[in-house]
Amino acid sequence: MATQRLSSAPFVSVGLPKKGFPSLRSSRLRICAAKAETVDKVCEIVRKQLALSSETSLTPSSAFADLGADSLDTVEIVMGLEEAFDITVEEENSQNITTIQEAADLIDKLVDKKAPAA
Amino acid sequence: MASRPKLSGLQKQVLGLYRGFLRAARSKGPEERQRIESIVSAEFHQNSKNIDRKNFLQIEYLLRRGKKQLDQLKSPDTVGLSSFTFSQQ
Repeated sequence: MATQRLSSAPFVSVGLPKKGFPSLRSSRLRICAAKAETVDKVCEIVRKQLALSSETSLTPSSAFADLGADSLDTVEIVMGLEEAFDITVEEENSQNITTIQEAADLIDKLVDKKAPAA
Repeated sequence: MASRPKLSGLQKQVLGLYRGFLRAARSKGPEERQRIESIVSAEFHQNSKNIDRKNFLQIEYLLRRGKKQLDQLKSPDTVGLSSFTFSQQ
């Protein structure tokens, strides 16, 4: 019952004010993955980078390899993401990114890490 | 996660070099950058298709050459990149 209620209202937790409840937020982050806007932005960049038509459906679980990207294309995507989000992805990490979800998760982590330092 | 086969050391080196080129291109003017990116991207993709993955000698040669070219490109005095092709008879 409790799990059902959680999954039926995912936006409640995501939509919390960004700076309001830091402890609550960080504990939430591990449960529900990257923010929806991050995923959307990643999708957009991937679509542009791979020159996909607008009919191609992109879901968070889409793997780059399934979209016709080889490892060189993946490097391009990661570089594009770095620039769009103003982050630096380490080389070891970039090789673990195979899906949009993984990319979005990593980006949120890096952006979060950067925010307090700035 | 497991969907991607582990990359070999040589593949990692190539990808690292590619990343280096794209990074270096960022430091140039927007127009040149576009040009550099398209040349570099075409070169890497072409070589990835045309060279047998077991042809280590050739790949290592291209890696060395690429590293030298990257060092040149990284210099702030270098403003652009150009390429030409031979027409093979």
